[in-house]
Amino acid sequence: MTIGQPDSTVGVQDHPASAEPVRPATVAHGKSPLRIAMDRLRKDNVAVICAVIILFFILVAVFAPLLSKIEGQDFGTFHPDLVDEYGYPTIGLTPDHWFSVEPKTGRDNFARWVYGARPSLIVAFSATVFGTIVGVVMGLLAGFLGGWVDRVISWIIDFVLSLPYLLFAIALVPIVESMRGGSFNLTPEEQASTRFFVLIFVLSFFGWAGLARIIRGEVLSLREREFVLAAKAIGVPTRQVLFKELLPNLVAPIVISASLSLPAYVTLEAGLSFLGVGLVEPIPSWGQTIANATNWFKADPIYLWLPVVGITALVLALALLGDSIRDAFDPKTRR
Amino acid sequence: MQWKRITAVAAGVMLAVAACGSPSSNSGNEAGGSGDLGGAQVKAIDATAKGPAKEIDGAKKGGTVTVLSDVTPDTFDPTNIYYTDGNQIGKLIYRALTQYKLDPASGKPTLVPDLAEDLGTKSADGLSWTFKLKKGIKYQDGSPVTAADFAYSIKRSFAHDLYDAGPTYQIQFFKDGDKYKGPYASGDNYAGVETPDDSTLVIHLAKKFDDLPFYAAFPMFTPIPKAKDTKKNYEQRPMTTGPYQVTSYTPGTELKLAKNPNWDPNTDPVRYQYPDGWDFKFAQDTIKAQRQVLASAGPDANALNYSNLDVSLLPEVKDQSQLVKGPGPCTQMYTMDARKIPLEVRKLIAKAHPTDSWRKVAGLNPSDSPPASTILPPAVPGFEKYELPGLTGTGKGAEDDAVAAEVKSELAKLGKSNFELSWYYSIDDKISTQVTQLRKQVYEKAGFKVRAIGVPKAKLRTFVGDQNAPVNIGKTPAGWCSDWPSGTSWFPVLFKSDAIELGNSVGQLQDKALDAEIDRVSAMTPDEQLKEWSKVDKMILEKYLPVVPLYYTGTNSPVGKNIGHAVNDMTQGLPEFTSIYLKQP
Repeated sequence: MTIGQPDSTVGVQDHPASAEPVRPATVAHGKSPLRIAMDRLRKDNVAVICAVIILFFILVAVFAPLLSKIEGQDFGTFHPDLVDEYGYPTIGLTPDHWFSVEPKTGRDNFARWVYGARPSLIVAFSATVFGTIVGVVMGLLAGFLGGWVDRVISWIIDFVLSLPYLLFAIALVPIVESMRGGSFNLTPEEQASTRFFVLIFVLSFFGWAGLARIIRGEVLSLREREFVLAAKAIGVPTRQVLFKELLPNLVAPIVISASLSLPAYVTLEAGLSFLGVGLVEPIPSWGQTIANATNWFKADPIYLWLPVVGITALVLALALLGDSIRDAFDPKTRR
Repeated sequence: MQWKRITAVAAGVMLAVAACGSPSSNSGNEAGGSGDLGGAQVKAIDATAKGPAKEIDGAKKGGTVTVLSDVTPDTFDPTNIYYTDGNQIGKLIYRALTQYKLDPASGKPTLVPDLAEDLGTKSADGLSWTFKLKKGIKYQDGSPVTAADFAYSIKRSFAHDLYDAGPTYQIQFFKDGDKYKGPYASGDNYAGVETPDDSTLVIHLAKKFDDLPFYAAFPMFTPIPKAKDTKKNYEQRPMTTGPYQVTSYTPGTELKLAKNPNWDPNTDPVRYQYPDGWDFKFAQDTIKAQRQVLASAGPDANALNYSNLDVSLLPEVKDQSQLVKGPGPCTQMYTMDARKIPLEVRKLIAKAHPTDSWRKVAGLNPSDSPPASTILPPAVPGFEKYELPGLTGTGKGAEDDAVAAEVKSELAKLGKSNFELSWYYSIDDKISTQVTQLRKQVYEKAGFKVRAIGVPKAKLRTFVGDQNAPVNIGKTPAGWCSDWPSGTSWFPVLFKSDAIELGNSVGQLQDKALDAEIDRVSAMTPDEQLKEWSKVDKMILEKYLPVVPLYYTGTNSPVGKNIGHAVNDMTQGLPEFTSIYLKQP
C-alpha cells in the first residue's frame, strides 16, 4: 500500500497498533485512491479553472444550435451583401452578427465558431473513448494471458505504432468514399461526413496501441501479486480477475493517458483540417477557418483570432487538467 | 485537334481554328467602335512595320530585373512552349517569323513581321505561304541564321511525342502533317517546308489556314540550327535571336538571362534591351513573393511577380502604380448543355444565377476580372461591348426573393418544377466547395433541384472535360483564351456542331443556322470580320444562350517600385517584358 503524507488520511496508520488514531470526525476512513485523487484535484485551483473552461466549451458545443438561434444566424447561410466587392466584410461587431462575418462568403463568424467547437470535441472525445477501451482490453489480455495471445497482440501493437497516421488519414478517404455508393458520386454533405468518420477512425486506430502497451506492462507486474494469485487460487473466473481485481489498480494510468490524449486529438483534428486532409466544407471547423484566415489576418484579424483563441484555450485547459490529474494520481507527488 | 491548357496565369483553353480571310489582303478599313473596357481594334496587322522600335521616354539602360514567380513554366524549349508565361519569357530570347507590337497609347496588339520581311504571301489556291526572311540576322554566338534553320524548327515541331506540350496546328494544317513525325523519326525530307534560297521560306499546307501569320508568332517558329539541336537538353543552351541569351537554367528553380550582343535593334520592330539581365526565380510562395514585390525593400524594388495579386493583399497596396493592369485574352463562362436543358430553362438559370455573390465567394478582384456581358473579351480586335438584360456579369439573381419566386413560378408554368441541375466540383478546393454551396442555396430557393458531385481536384479536369458527362452544367471549356487576337479562334471552334466531337463545344449547340452563319463570317477578310464577329456573339447569347458570360480575365500583377514601363500585354494577359527598364539601374 502506498504511503501518503503524515497528516493525510490514507489507510496506512502511522500510529501504534494499540492506539486508535485520532481523526477529525468529518474525514472518512480508508479512502480509495480515486477518492484521494479527486480530493487533491478539488483543492487544485488550476485544475478547477481548467475544468470550468472545458465545461464551457462542452456547453458551447452542445448548445451550438441554441446559441446561434439566439443570435439569429446560421452557420451555412451566405451573406455576400455584407462583404464588399473585394471580399472584405463591410460590418464590424453588430447586434445581428456578434463577431462580424467571414470574408468573401459573409457567413456568420459566431455561428461558425460555436459549431466549430463541435467537431473538435466530438472527434477528440470519441477517439479517446474508443482508443482507451480498445487499449485497455488489449493490454489486459496481453499482459494477463501471456503466451501466444501476448505475442500476437504485442506484434499488432508494434505494427500499428509503425504505421504513418498522416498517410492513412489521406489514403482512407477515397477508399471509404468508394465503399459508400461509389466514388465521385457523393453530395458535399456525404463527403464531409465521410471525412468526419474517417478522421475519428484514424485517430482512434492510431491511439489505442500506446495505451495498450502501458497497460500490458502494468498487468505483467500486477499479475504476480498476492491478491491476484489468491483470487486465481480460489477459482475466480478469468474475466472477474481481469475486471474486478486488476482493472481498479489500473485506473491511474488509464485516466492519465485519456486526459493527455484529449488535447492531442483536438490539435490533431485542427492540424489535419488545416492541412486539408481532415474535415471539409460544409462542416465548419476551427482548423479550416485558421487555414483560410491566415491570408486575411491584416485586414480582418478577428476572423483568425476566434478559432485560434478557441483551440488554444481548449487545448491548454485540457493539457493542464491532464497534468493535474496525473499529479493527483501520482503517489510520489509531494504537496 | 484540341488543346486544353490551364495557362500559368489564367484558366484558358487553346485550340485549332478554322480558316478565314487572308491577313495580307488588308484593306485598311477603319472598323469597329470602342467600349469602355478597351474597345475594338481597327487594324489587326501591319506588314510594313520596321525596326528599331521607338525608344521609350525616360528609359534607362542597365541593372538586372528579378522576376519572383509563384508559377513554374514547364519548359523553355521553343518548340514546346505553349503556356502564356512561357511565351512571354520566350519573347525575350526567341524571335519568330512574326510578333505582336503593342500600341504605345492603347496597348492594343498589331501583328508585325519579326524575322520575316513581311507577313507572308499566300498562293492563289491558299495552300502555300511564302515568307521573305530578313538578312544578316545572327545568333548570340555570331553565327548566321539561315532559312534552313527555320525549316528545321518547323520539322522539329512534328516530333510531338518528344515536345508534347507544344502547339499542334502544324500537324493539323501543314502538308503531310499527319504522316511526318519529325526529323528524328522520319528524317529531314519533309514536303511541307521549302527553302528555295537562303532568304525565302515556303510553307505548304494540306488545307487552307489563313491565320498562319498569327500562328507564326509562336516561339515554335524561331530558327534552330540542326547541328545545335540536343533534343530535350536544347532548352539548357538554346540558340537565341532575341535581345537576351540564356546564361543558366535550372529547371523548376531559376532562369538567368544576359544581353545578347548580336541582337540588332534595327531589325526588330518590337523589342528593347534596357536591363543588362533578367533573373527569373520560380516556385516562390505566392503571397510571400507578392508582399516582397509590393514592399520593394532593397533589391525587391527591381522585382516583379506576374500572377494576379491575391485579393487579400489589396489593403497592402499603397501605390496603385505598382500594379500592372489591363485586359487579358480570356473570357470565363457558366456553361449549360443545350442538349439537356431547354432554352426556356436556360434563360431561367441565367436569371437566377447569383453573379454578384458568386464573384465575392470566388474571390474575384474587380480590377482584374471585370464582369463580362459578351463572349469575346475586349482584348480581341472587333470586340464590341453590348449588354443583354440579365447578362451583364453582375446581379443578385435568385438571391432576390422576388426573382426567386418569379423563376419558381415560370418553372412551374413550363412544367419543369424541380428541374435537376448537376455539376462537378472539386472536393479538396475550398473556393470550389464554397461556390457550390452558394449556387445550391440559391438555385434550390428558385425551385431547382441540385445535384453537386464532388471529385478530387486532380480528376476534375477529366470529368468536366467529357462532352457527354452525365451532368448538365459547367462542362469545359468554361473559359477560353485566344491563341491569336481574332474572332476566328473563338466562334468556329466553340459553337459549331462539330465542336462536340472535337471536345471543345461550349454549350453543346447543334444548330444548322448558326453553323451556316459562322461559316459565312469565317469566309470574309479579317477586316470585314471585325464587325461581324461581334454580331455573331450577340446572336448566340440572344437566340441560343448556351452560356452565361461571367468575367473577362485581366492582368493585375504587382511590380517593384524601381520597375519602369510595366505595361500589360493583352495577347498573353501578362506584363510585357521586353519593354521594361529600371528607373534607377
